[in-house]
Amino acid sequence: MEFFLKGFVNAARLIASLDLEVYLIVWTSLKVSLVATLLASLLGVPLGTLIALKRFRVKSLLLIVLNTMMAFPTVVIGLLFYGLLSRRGPLGDLDLLYTPAGMALGLFVLAFPTVVNLTLAAIQGLDPRLIVTCKLLGATPVQQTWKILTEARFAITAAIVVAFGRVISEVGIAMMIGGNIRGFTRTMTTAIALETSKGEFELGIALGTVLLTVAFGVNGMLFLLQRGKL
Amino acid sequence: MTPAYTLRNVSFAYSGEPALRVHDLRISPGEIVGLVGPNGSGKTTLMHLLAFLEQPQRGEVKFFGDNVHGGDLLTVRRKVALLLQNPYLFHESVLANVMWGLRLRRAPSDKARAAALEALDMVGLDGFAHRYARSLSGGESQRVALARALVLDPAVLLLDEPFNHMDRESARKTEEIVVQMSRERGTTVVLTTHAIDKVHSLARTVIYLWQGRVVPTGPENLFKGNLRAHGSLFDTGRILLELENGSTQGDFVAIDPLKLEILVTAPDPGDPNVYSGKVVGLSDENGRVRVVVDAGERFTALLGPSDSVLPQLGLGTEVRLRVRSHAITVL
Repeated sequence: MEFFLKGFVNAARLIASLDLEVYLIVWTSLKVSLVATLLASLLGVPLGTLIALKRFRVKSLLLIVLNTMMAFPTVVIGLLFYGLLSRRGPLGDLDLLYTPAGMALGLFVLAFPTVVNLTLAAIQGLDPRLIVTCKLLGATPVQQTWKILTEARFAITAAIVVAFGRVISEVGIAMMIGGNIRGFTRTMTTAIALETSKGEFELGIALGTVLLTVAFGVNGMLFLLQRGKL
Repeated sequence: MTPAYTLRNVSFAYSGEPALRVHDLRISPGEIVGLVGPNGSGKTTLMHLLAFLEQPQRGEVKFFGDNVHGGDLLTVRRKVALLLQNPYLFHESVLANVMWGLRLRRAPSDKARAAALEALDMVGLDGFAHRYARSLSGGESQRVALARALVLDPAVLLLDEPFNHMDRESARKTEEIVVQMSRERGTTVVLTTHAIDKVHSLARTVIYLWQGRVVPTGPENLFKGNLRAHGSLFDTGRILLELENGSTQGDFVAIDPLKLEILVTAPDPGDPNVYSGKVVGLSDENGRVRVVVDAGERFTALLGPSDSVLPQLGLGTEVRLRVRSHAITVL
C-alpha cells in the first residue's frame, strides 16, 4: 500500500509542478488518439449506417469480418504496420515509421471496426417504426438517413467514445509504430510501460492517473450529453 | 367524380403467404370510410398499400385517377398521412415532432411553427409544445402523432385503430377532427377500428375485410366450404346452399344479414335454402334487432324493429331460416 501511496503523492507533485515531459507525453497521446478517432468516425459512421440500412449479398460475411477485426490484437496491427511502413516495406517511402502520423494510422485501424460495428448495432437496434414514420411523413432517402443518425446520436457518440478509449489505452501499436521516442512519439501507455520497467513508478502512476482522468472526463461528457445538459 | 383510390385485382403476400386480395375497390374523395375486420383480416396491409408504404405484388392502385409507379412514391406519400396504431415519436420536443414533416417540405420556419402550434391546439394539446415527446402517455402520444399528420394538410388521412389508447374525451375529440377534416377540407378519411359502433356513427361507407378479402357483410355469415355440382351448390360441411347463378371458383360464401328471412310458419315445399334452427341470441343493434339462429351453421339476421315476426321470437324459439340465393356471395 505504501508503494501506491508514495506513487500517488509523487504523481500529484509531478502533475502540479507542470512537468513539461508529462504534459508532452499527454499531448502526444491525445493528439494521435483524437486524429485516429476522428478519421475512424468520419469513415466508420457512414459505413456502419450504410451496412445497417442496405441489404446486399455478402452482408453476413462482412459482419463476420468486422467482428473479427474488433478482436484483432493490437500487437498484430502494430506488426502489420511495422512491416508496411518500415524502409523495406511497400509504404516505406512515406517515412511514417516512428512518427505520430504513423501511430495515428495504426490506431485508426484499431478504432475503425469498433466505430463501424457499434454504429451498425446502434442503427439496427433502433425501433423499426422509425423508418416507417420517416417514409410516412414524406422524407427522401437522405432525409431518412439523417433522421436515423440523429435518433441514434447517443449510441453513436458512445461508439466513438469506446473507440477513443480503446486507442488511447492501447500500447502495442504505439510501441511498435511509434517506437516510444522521448518528446516525439512517447505516449502515456508506452511511457508507463517503460518507466515501470526502469523502476520509475511515480511517473508511471502519474501518467496512469492522467489516463484515468481523461477517460473519466470523456465518459462524464458523454453522460451529460445523454442527459441533454451539453 | 374521380375516386381517391381505385384498386383492381390487387394482391399482396408476406413471404409467399397471401395477406390481401382485392378484386375491385373504390374510395370516393372527401368520404369517411370505415375499415372493419378481425385481427389478421388484412386491414393494416390495406392501410399500408393506401399509404404507399408497400406496393402490391399484383394489380394496380390508382390515386386520384393516376397509376402510381415507383418513381412517384415520394410525391404521393406527401399527399397521404397515416396515423399508425402505435405511433413512433422522435426523441425531441413535441413541437419539433409536429414540425418535422413541414421542415422536410421546406416550409418557412415561422409558418411551420405557427401551423404546428395550431395543429396541437386542434388535438387539445396546447401547452405541450415544449414537452419531451417520449415522456408522454399513450393517448397523448397518439394525439401528437395525429397533430403531426394534420399539420401536413393531407388529401387522404388514414387512421389505423386511432381510438386504441385514447380515453373517452380524446376519442370524442378525434371523432370531431375526422368529421371536420372531411367536411371543411374535403379530406378523404379511412379509419380502421374494432369499435364497430364508432365506424357506423362516423363512416358513410364501411368496408369489411375477411381473411384478406373485401366482403359485402361483416364477419357474420361467412362460411368456409367447397363448391359442388358444377358450382350450383356450396357445401359448408354442415349445410348445402343452392346458388343462384352458379360459380366456378370460391371457398367462402358471405350472406347479407339484412337479406335473411326468419319464418315461424312452414314455408312452401320445394323452397330452396330453408333450414330449421333455434334462436340462440337476440340483441339490439343501432335500431335493428340482431337475431342469431343456430341452423347447422350459426346465422345472424338483422331485422327491422317493426318486423312482424319479432313478437314471436325468444331465446330457444324453433324457427325456419330462408336464405335467398341472391343474398349469397361466393368469395
